[in-house]
Amino acid sequence: MIHVRGLHKHFGALHVLKGIDLDVEQSEVVVLIGPSGSGKSTLLRCLNFLEIAQEGTIELLGKSVVPGKDDLDDVREHVGMVFQHFNLFPHMSAIENITMAPINVKKLSKEEARATARDLLQRVGLADKEDSYPSQLSGGQKQRVAIARALAMSPDVMLFDEVTSALDPELVGEVLQVMKDLAKSGMTMVVVTHEMGFAREVADRAIMLDDGQIIEDTTPELLFTAPTHERTQRFLSQVL
Amino acid sequence: MIDFWEILQEHFVPFLNATGMTLKLTSVSLVLAMVLGLLVAFLKLSDNRALNWVAHVYIAVIRGTPLIVQLMFLYFGITSIVVLPSFWAGSLALAIHSGAYVAEIFRGAIQSIDKGQMEASRSLGVSHWKSMRLVILPQAFRRAVPPLGNQFIIGLKDSSLVAYLGVAELYGAALSAQAENFQPFETYMVAGLYYLVLVLIFTLLVQRLESRMDKANSGRQRDTRTRIA
Repeated sequence: MIHVRGLHKHFGALHVLKGIDLDVEQSEVVVLIGPSGSGKSTLLRCLNFLEIAQEGTIELLGKSVVPGKDDLDDVREHVGMVFQHFNLFPHMSAIENITMAPINVKKLSKEEARATARDLLQRVGLADKEDSYPSQLSGGQKQRVAIARALAMSPDVMLFDEVTSALDPELVGEVLQVMKDLAKSGMTMVVVTHEMGFAREVADRAIMLDDGQIIEDTTPELLFTAPTHERTQRFLSQVL
Repeated sequence: MIDFWEILQEHFVPFLNATGMTLKLTSVSLVLAMVLGLLVAFLKLSDNRALNWVAHVYIAVIRGTPLIVQLMFLYFGITSIVVLPSFWAGSLALAIHSGAYVAEIFRGAIQSIDKGQMEASRSLGVSHWKSMRLVILPQAFRRAVPPLGNQFIIGLKDSSLVAYLGVAELYGAALSAQAENFQPFETYMVAGLYYLVLVLIFTLLVQRLESRMDKANSGRQRDTRTRIA
């Protein structure tokens, strides 16, 4: 589903990704962990081309994607993303946030798009909030609307960029629950997270990044119980 | 003071007509300035160096020279190319002037919108320009209302200089009135009063627009609080 080879990303003099190889198969849930600055968010953002890597290849859904040659808007339709700070559109109600892209990109009729959006709101437990504006929602509710918004484009992969990091502790659970349900439904997911409990319970694979490189790629069970790398042990002892 | 009231009454009708002309000049030039300003803001925000440069030079020249010089220069420039009634030449010149300031207002408002908004929209497969139109600009326009209101007031008063192109707007009416009645002090005082009233009315309208936008926001917030309780 996703095949990354030899990915390098520089921000000016800063070398953030130093030769990443990554494969994600259909319906797999992969968590990326690592200290801040290790490049995990950048890697995630390279997967939907919000960041363009300087070197390396990315193959999505069986097609190699070349920025500048391929239409990245088409690619992004198939790759949903949820952000740490929600990034809901504040001037649109919850349901307008969700229907904006289907109406304007997929050219669905307003009625069709709203029907799908209602199903999605139901799925994330916010059926009664369709007319609420983002400023009226709690952090957890905002993030669930953001997940519904990404799902409305029926993506093949979902990317989650530290989606619970900006939430009050008591609101984290409701968002993780939605993600667990999504994983159970067979969605392919790449998740940058500090929620080790979630990683352990839901992920098929856990990848540890440090200083722009993948230093461990194994099952969550093995990563947490028997990390091979000294850096991983140190990181885990700090976060667990 | 008696003369003031006399002049106010005596010139009531011509000044009222001239006020209509001032409002027409102001609104036409400001609508054009908004279009021009938005365009130049995009040039300034573009990745293309040449386009940046065009916007840069335009804004630098307009900000760096007096309006009356620009008016005369553009009037004689425009009318040497095409035959235009002085109302339209004056409106265009005013628009080109205000456009530079409006461009900076729009550029600032667009840049003040959080980057995550554009990213979220692009991540859904929405193109850059559609994201601009549907996500960024509606939010940017709201933020631009207070500074735009200010710029409109300046535009209203600046329109007085178009009198020198022979347009019979408010200041032009005062110019010819005082040439007839030989009472410049009182006549200009009346003209000033007209401008002051216009600006006060306009300020009130902008304030109401702003508070309506605020209410729309806080009203929604109050709404939730009750729902949560």
